[in-house]
This record gives sequence, C-alpha cells and structure tokens, in this order.
Amino acid sequence: MLKTCLSFSRRTALGLMTTALVSVAALSTAAHAEDAQGFVTAFGGKLVGIINSDKSLSEKRQEVLPLLQDNVDIATIGKFCLGRYWRSATPEQQAEYLKLFHQVLVNAVTDKIGDYKGVSFRVTGATNTPNGELVSAQIMRPGQPTADMGLLIAKDGGMKIVDMIGEGTSLRLTQRQDYSSYLARNGGNVATLISALERQLSHRH
Amino acid sequence: MTAPLGDSDNRPETGSAVESRTQRRGQRKGGRLLVGLTALLSLSACASWRNPPPKDPEALADYKEANDPYEPVNRKMYNVQMWAYHHALRPVGKAWAWAIPKPIRNSIDNLNQTWYMPTVFFSDVGAGKPRRAGDDFMRYIINMTLGAAGFIDVATSLGYPHHDSDPGLTLATWGVPSGPYMFLPGLGPNTLRDAGGYAIAQGLSPINYVPRGYGLLTFNWAYNIAGVLGGFSSHIDEIDQVEQDSLDPYAFIRSAWQQNRQSQVDAIRNDHRATVPDWYN
Repeated sequence: MLKTCLSFSRRTALGLMTTALVSVAALSTAAHAEDAQGFVTAFGGKLVGIINSDKSLSEKRQEVLPLLQDNVDIATIGKFCLGRYWRSATPEQQAEYLKLFHQVLVNAVTDKIGDYKGVSFRVTGATNTPNGELVSAQIMRPGQPTADMGLLIAKDGGMKIVDMIGEGTSLRLTQRQDYSSYLARNGGNVATLISALERQLSHRH
Repeated sequence: MTAPLGDSDNRPETGSAVESRTQRRGQRKGGRLLVGLTALLSLSACASWRNPPPKDPEALADYKEANDPYEPVNRKMYNVQMWAYHHALRPVGKAWAWAIPKPIRNSIDNLNQTWYMPTVFFSDVGAGKPRRAGDDFMRYIINMTLGAAGFIDVATSLGYPHHDSDPGLTLATWGVPSGPYMFLPGLGPNTLRDAGGYAIAQGLSPINYVPRGYGLLTFNWAYNIAGVLGGFSSHIDEIDQVEQDSLDPYAFIRSAWQQNRQSQVDAIRNDHRATVPDWYN
C-alpha cells in the first residue's frame, strides 16, 4: 500500500515535473519565436518607413546604411560566401575581402530602394532550422503579385540577419556558388576575387 | 530569375524557312529540343567535355553540390544563349515592352498562363495532389469562360490563385533522380529529368492538337510569339542584374535555378491541403 502510494506519488511528481519542463520549454520557444518575428517586424518596419518616405533617393540610402549595419551580420555572410577559400586566404586578404563584400551587399540593397516605393510587408511565421530561426514574410507591392520571402536570424550574441530567401533561393548560397565557381576557374587565389570585386565596385560609380 | 531563360525558348526564328513556320508548336519545340539533346550527347561523348570529379574532398563537395559534370559543354551552350540574348532577344524584348501597353501585355500573359493550365492540371494529378489539381481545373474553366478565353484572370479573385507545376516537378515527386544539370540553348537551365518533363508538357498542351488551317496557324504563331515576348520582356531587368552583379553569372544562375526548382518540388510535396476548396472563405 505504502509502496503503491509512494510509486504513485513519485509518478505524479515525475509527471508534474515533466509537464512543467515541457511547458517551460514550450514557453521559451514561443518567446524565442516571437523574438525573432518581433525582430523582423521591427527591422522591416523601419526599412519600409524609409523606403516609403518622401525623401530623396540619396537621403534614403544614407538612412538605410546604419539600419543594415546594425541588423545584418555582413561579416558572417561574407565569410560563408567565400566557402572553403576563406581558410586559404591570408588575414589581410580576409579583411580586404570583407570590406569589399560589405560594400557589395549594401549596394545590392540600396540599388533596389527606388523600385520598392509603396511596399508593405507581413510576418507570417517562423521555423527553427539548424542555422537559426527562419522568419517568413510576405511582401506586397502595388501592381505586383505578393512575394514570399524568408529571413534567417542567428542569435549568437544578439539577433542578426544571416541570410535571405526569395523564391526558394538562398542569397548566400547562390553567392557562394558564384564566388567559388569564379575562384575555381581562376586558380583559386583569393587575390583574384578581390580584384574582381574591386573592378565590379568601380564600374558602378 | 529562373523563368527568363526558360521563357526565352520559343522566340521567333526570324531566319527560318517558310516551311518550318508552318510546323506546329510541338514539332518546332520538340525538334529544337532534339537538336539540343543530340548536340549535348554527342559533345559529351568526348572525355574533354566532362569535368572529372576533383580529388580534394572540399572541392569534391562543391562539385557534387553543383551537380554539373558536363560544365564545359553547358558553359558553351550558355554562351550561345547569352549571345542570342544580347544580339536579338534583349533588343526585341525591350521594343515589345516599349510598344505594347502594359494592360495588353498582362492579358497576353494571362492567356498563356490559362492555356498552359491543362499541363499544370495533369502534372498535379500525376503528383497525387487533388486540391492543387482542383484549383487548376477551376482556373481553367473560369478563365476560359468568364475570363474571355483566358485573356482575363478572373479565377484568382474568385479564390483560385495560380501556382506553377509541370511534368518535371511531378517526376521529381515520384522520386525520379534529376540527372546532371544541363543548360540547353532555347530552353535554359535544365536537368535530364526536366528536359524529359518538358517533352511531356508539349504532349499535354491542347493547342498542339488543334487541326491545321491557315487561320489557326496564324493565331498559333501570334500566340506563341506574343506569349514568349511577354514572358521574356518582363525578365530583362533581372537577367541584366545577374550579369552585372555576379562574377560568374553561369554559376549564379545554375545555383539559383536548382534551389528554386527544389523549393517547387518541396512545395508540392508539403501541400497536404484537403480536397474540398474553401468555398466559404
């Protein structure tokens, strides 16, 4: 009797503990998910605010720059895009490459600002992936079909965007294929890539 | 950015003989596909056209990710396509977009999309997705009637939005392996499986079974040319941007196309919606 009672209470205690643990875990994931979604909502809201304002295009570009620097982990993306060639690069080359990559990425975003006037967006959900939390959103533009996109948020040391997915295509993966293919066809020397990026940037201005 | 190169395929062949103009669309495309495939296969027979797998494990990982053993041939084909793009397709597409008002271009896009619906329908049936197939069926019926034979997209506003599907995707959901990546001039990025799917799609297009006759042929040609120009001209900016922004546009397009294709396969696989549409929403 005592034994049954004991085992019962033990089982109850175990059960209670498990329930408590599970709900704590559920709560914390929910809070996490909300965090990443909240982060994207806040970031997107600021971005859309700048894009839809009545300021000039150059003013808008000026304002977007710090927003990107604060919320996008450009160095991590850059490192990812260099793939296996990152380790073969000298520290100087790495620094030089990251500086150029930073500029390339910022240009890629600011070049599009003019096309997105009247844009609005809606965060639709989030899923956990091994690389971080993937927040999905819908982009609405006047006269254009709604576009689905995803932002991958890494959380080590504050939330930052580490990838963007549009039409099922990961930006950093595509970019890595681009760079690694270029390098493979040009002797695998990162210096070649650096000068190509320099050329690319100088052609724009 | 995946569609443009694929879209550019049925462009008008200004230099082709009058006889070939009177051929039906299916034969024309099938013929071109055959030429492309024959060229590819005969070229790839030579060892030098094939990149051997690299020894270095990391390079091997990249090699496998790209899934492009016939890269040397594919790059040649890509160059052919881009030559045609810069010398013919781009200027003609630009002129088209300049000359034809946007609402008319939109109607032509709608027409093409609606008339492709039977192919999408059979693909979704093949993939065992009744809800998707039902949407296709309703889209086709609504747009062919209320939508004036397909010129107006009424179905989207009635709750049947468009989605993409084709026999290549269906084969993928069956577990047919993609085979190596191929770049076919005229058809753009492809795999062995998707090229096969393309041939099946031609067989599933009702317009290819329309009896011959002068009026119909004229219409068929107008339909094809206008459709292609419409689809193509709206992607010129994207192609230009890829060429400007990437160091190796060929690799960029290859990766983006493969990822996009995979996401389409996943979308079909993960579509477990109930068969009955949301009538009351």
